[in-house]
Amino acid sequence: MKDFQLGEFEEIVLLTVAILNDEAYGVSIKQEIEERLKRSVSVGALQSALRRMESKGFLISNLGEASSVRGGKRKRYFNITDLGKKALAYARDTRNQLWDAIPDFVLKMI
Amino acid sequence: MIAPPKFANRILETFCREEYLEDIQGDLEEEFAMKAPASTLKARIWYFLEVLKLLRPNLIKHFQPFIHLIHDTTMFRNYLKIGFRNLTKYKSSTLINVLGLTVGIAAFLLIALFVKDEISYDQHHLHAEDVYRLTVKNFDQDGSLSRQWAFASAGHAQRFKSDYPEVTHAVRFFPWAFPDLRIGERVFPGEMVVFADEDVFDTFTFPFIIGNPESAFDEVKSLVLTESSAVRLFGSDWQSKDILGKSIELSRDGMEAPFQVTGVMHDMPEQQHFHFEYLAPIQFVEQLFGKNAMNNVTGNYNWLTYLRLQPGTNPEIIEDRKDEFFDKYVGKTSNGLPAKDGYDFELQPLTSIHLHSNLEGEIESNGSIEQIYIFSIVGILLLLVACINYMNLATSQFSRRMKEIGVRKVVGARKISLIHQFLTESFIINFVAFPLAIILAWLALPYLNDFMDKTLSLDFIQNVDLFAGLIILMLAVTLMAGLYPATFMAKIHLLQALKGESAIRSNKWNFRYWLVTFQYAVTIGLIFTLAVIKGQMQFINNSDPGYQKDQIVHLWMSNKIQNLEVFKYELLQHPDINKATYASRVPTGRLADSWGASFFRNDSAEQVNFRLPFILADEDFLSTFEIPLIAGENFSKNMNMSQDSVGYYLINRTAAEALGFSNPRDIVGKKLSYGNYNDQQLRAGRILGVTEDFHFESLHSEITPMIILKDDWKTRKICLQVDTKDISSVLEHIESTWAQFDMESSPQYRFLDEIFAEQYQAEERLSTMITAFTMMAIFIGCLGLIGMVGFIISTRYKEIGVRKVLGASAGSIAMIIAEQFLILVGIAFVASIPIAYYFMSGWLNDFVYHVNISIWFILLPALVAMTITVFTIGYQTLKASMINPVECLQDE
Repeated sequence: MKDFQLGEFEEIVLLTVAILNDEAYGVSIKQEIEERLKRSVSVGALQSALRRMESKGFLISNLGEASSVRGGKRKRYFNITDLGKKALAYARDTRNQLWDAIPDFVLKMI
Repeated sequence: MIAPPKFANRILETFCREEYLEDIQGDLEEEFAMKAPASTLKARIWYFLEVLKLLRPNLIKHFQPFIHLIHDTTMFRNYLKIGFRNLTKYKSSTLINVLGLTVGIAAFLLIALFVKDEISYDQHHLHAEDVYRLTVKNFDQDGSLSRQWAFASAGHAQRFKSDYPEVTHAVRFFPWAFPDLRIGERVFPGEMVVFADEDVFDTFTFPFIIGNPESAFDEVKSLVLTESSAVRLFGSDWQSKDILGKSIELSRDGMEAPFQVTGVMHDMPEQQHFHFEYLAPIQFVEQLFGKNAMNNVTGNYNWLTYLRLQPGTNPEIIEDRKDEFFDKYVGKTSNGLPAKDGYDFELQPLTSIHLHSNLEGEIESNGSIEQIYIFSIVGILLLLVACINYMNLATSQFSRRMKEIGVRKVVGARKISLIHQFLTESFIINFVAFPLAIILAWLALPYLNDFMDKTLSLDFIQNVDLFAGLIILMLAVTLMAGLYPATFMAKIHLLQALKGESAIRSNKWNFRYWLVTFQYAVTIGLIFTLAVIKGQMQFINNSDPGYQKDQIVHLWMSNKIQNLEVFKYELLQHPDINKATYASRVPTGRLADSWGASFFRNDSAEQVNFRLPFILADEDFLSTFEIPLIAGENFSKNMNMSQDSVGYYLINRTAAEALGFSNPRDIVGKKLSYGNYNDQQLRAGRILGVTEDFHFESLHSEITPMIILKDDWKTRKICLQVDTKDISSVLEHIESTWAQFDMESSPQYRFLDEIFAEQYQAEERLSTMITAFTMMAIFIGCLGLIGMVGFIISTRYKEIGVRKVLGASAGSIAMIIAEQFLILVGIAFVASIPIAYYFMSGWLNDFVYHVNISIWFILLPALVAMTITVFTIGYQTLKASMINPVECLQDE
């Protein structure tokens, strides 16, 4: 299932887009991640991940309204596609499988 | 509302893909607006950094020009055709362009060859990374470094190897006595046979032609030759002679030993910091001297020593053990002080020796890293200046191409295709200039080799890297030189282009002016550098070293000559030989021998706590070298320290001052003990006289205290003061006299003024190289100026006409044009002099005695630059100022 492969950061971005549902555009995604995960995100890394996942088909985007704070530039809203959802589910499944495979006594020590 | 930084936005707009630009920029601005109220500055910095972080492969535009260049062959062919037409149509500007680039590239190429050669020293050894040279530092009693030797003592290598597991191999090299080699009846006198430990072939990589390194040193009396020594001994057809196992007799001082040839190596490559032609096992020397004689760990620094460490070992680990080492093997020295305070080791990485090491007794003269830096900077600057030249000339032609550009645009040429077109032209020029530059470099190479003592070659077949490098360089120069003119031309507005030149404003400050300023700055900087170097050379030549250097011949003594008195007497029989003196060392040499001393002040002895080096000389030393005696008396003939067990001392003025006597008369007759004679005793005696200071060593170093002893046990040289009118008869006399005393060898003599000049050979070379580079920079710069002034005149043609109509004189018009350039010279001057000043004062500080950078050194470059400018632009300017206004004011 190579097609569903997600990087760690990609996965976070994809999940955040899903959380924000219809309200996901550059700034909101960035803030959401920064707030929830307490890590700083550079615009470059975020945009690069978004475009990469768009080209893989996990995301679709469309241009929205412009506003004056944005210097009259339109927002680009991102939405998760079915393929994206599958990729998330696949990522979760593989994690779960691995978690399940860990012997109990190992986890107790943590 | 606060706007985000414009510059950052410009970057974003240039690089970001168009389809992403709008929303990404919007996101950034939105977030910027959130951050700005807290701190505008922080927000702006944040914005800028975020933009830089956005430059990722999948977000930036594809770089277009190349893709088109490859796909668009139809247009490309057209560009070539038009390019060729233009180049042949405007022959003079093509010629100027090609010449400028050729000179710049040739200079860069030569410098690159030189630098590459210099930095490749000793890299060819397989274990080069792990091999270090063991050097020894000696400290004076006051704790200051007295000398650092390139050599170590005989006992070091083996102890290092046995005591420290990190040291896997240790090699000593020792050239013993220059024996005569005999094969049957033929004798080869005084060959430099170097004796080495058997680890030598595991430490260094010396490929064998015949024989093999593992077994070459199995027998004590083995001899490994190199290709050239094999040719010398056995003739050029040695390979057909089966010389392995042939016997060669080594003889010196009545000792004879038969050695067997066990191998022939390739000649040691040029890029190695030592070159030996014969290697033999060091056990032979050990047997000769006895093991004990080769056990010392201090003094007798004659053994070039290399250690190979385990891969990745930090050499400091070994250096840090020096206290332990000296405590174990020496303990206390003869004067009761712990040896560990008087000595230290430094391990020099093999590959850095050539450029970074300049120690006492270097086996060959090394390069210098400063020189590499200077040459590299100058080479890059010259290449840049040549590129700038092209930029200037190409843009200044634009008025001729205006209509062509206009028509192309009307027909539908996009900006990018115009850029391709002009880049193609830049490529054509480079394509012509490069082969010419290679030819020029090839022609100049023998001179450079001769002058810098190198064997550089421009051999493309053996050196594929060089060829690849040149191709890359050619593309780089094409882009560097062509990109600005190309974008400049392509940016011209369609309507302006069709209307013709008059619409272009050219007298405002634009990029081209900065380019010319840069050229001026380089030229002015180089002229300044040259002036300082020449000034210092002049200073050296004119400065009085304090002794007679011009009429002195000195001879190395042979140990066959026993009766020194008679030999000297015989030499003096020639009417043109005025004076003669024996000395252990001669001015222009180094003051390398130094012993302990104690000085008696009011009857109590006190140790002399500064370095007081000595030479041995006889009573004629001062008169031969014409060194004035400022107090006391000279030696008399019958004094001899070894025989009399009394010290006879002369000291120099600095030594008297260092001992606390500002008036040299007061120290005469004071008691001094000096020396480390074979009985380990200081020789008590009196200071007979004080000499004026003289520069025994070169002007790089300060005049240090020194002492002259009257003794003859180590007088290696005899110096003759001669009349140089009929020098050949003097030399004949020397040779015939020598022959009476020593039949076997012939005298080796040198003139002191030659050796004096050699002390400054590095500076002399630098001076000549910088002269050549400055000439090139000026030449290229002048070419650029010619183009530039043509450009200015052509754009201000109408202005000149109007001014003339209104009554301006030819002179004032010439002034308007020249003025611009003089302003540029001014700016360049202000920009470049501080930088050049900084570098050159650093260079001058290498000399303890140096010329001061006076105001003339600073003004001269500006004056030269202005004069050259006026002469270069003079003709065109005058021609322009004398035009008939009717000609330039009538329009179509």
